[in-house]
Amino acid sequence: MSSRTATYHTTVEWKGEHWGHLVMGNGPEYEFSAPPDAHGHAGVFTPEDAYVAAANTCVMMMFIWAAERFKLKLLSYECRTEGTKLIELDRTEIFTQLCFMPKIRVAANGESAEVVEARVRRALQAAQKYSLVANSVKSEIVVKPEILIEE
Amino acid sequence: MSEYLETTIDKFIFRVATDRLYTPEGVWALLEGNRVRIGLTDYQQQLNGDVAFVHLKPVGTKFAAGDELAEMETIKATVSFFSPVSGTLIEVNPDLELSPEVINQDPYGKGWLAVIESARWEVDRAKLIDAKAYLEWMRSQAEQELKK
Repeated sequence: MSSRTATYHTTVEWKGEHWGHLVMGNGPEYEFSAPPDAHGHAGVFTPEDAYVAAANTCVMMMFIWAAERFKLKLLSYECRTEGTKLIELDRTEIFTQLCFMPKIRVAANGESAEVVEARVRRALQAAQKYSLVANSVKSEIVVKPEILIEE
Repeated sequence: MSEYLETTIDKFIFRVATDRLYTPEGVWALLEGNRVRIGLTDYQQQLNGDVAFVHLKPVGTKFAAGDELAEMETIKATVSFFSPVSGTLIEVNPDLELSPEVINQDPYGKGWLAVIESARWEVDRAKLIDAKAYLEWMRSQAEQELKK
């Protein structure tokens, strides 16, 4: 295999009715279903949540990396991400948009708030650009950050 | 206004300005009177990713060709670049302090690194390559990267 490629895997197994069992390549296992509005069950892992979570978690991990590279003193990071599903005329469905709403607190660490905020915004752009998942999806990606620089 | 040679490798387009000389490591040198403006190639900026910080030697530093001129921290790597010419560092790009991304945005223009007062341009230039030769060298480097 080329050193420029890597492979990740998951395995699913049907457990009857609208239930499945998922084994992640990295270890965890989940029962899953479809969401209740798609003939599934409440309270369990769903493909829809997994898609949005994959993007949200990947962008966060990339942001943490970017914050380190940009020498930001990160105090907190929290991000709600919403995926918007569109039902097309032919009844196929697509996530048209992923909207990230990160709330980020960073210490000024002796620098001006403007300079630090500019670096946070560049780190956010880099997180989106270099996130494997965000870079792989065809949904439009929108980022609406709240950035707080603390003395 | 610079003119460019252009090549596409994989899905990436790389430009090489025709009005200056290059080291094989991707540092360009543009003669301006007895001064030499120095910067990084489009290939180098794309290869190393979004620039976070650039650390240049201080104004007044004397260089021999091949001495370390700058260390660049990007989102993916920390890399050093070496002076293509001998002389004294007389100016560094002030925009790099707060907006190092100009290297990514305009590597042959606003993203220049430094200006060196050349001590022996005629000797140093003999070791540099022109745009066409750099393009070929860069293409072979990029193709090797793709095969890794």
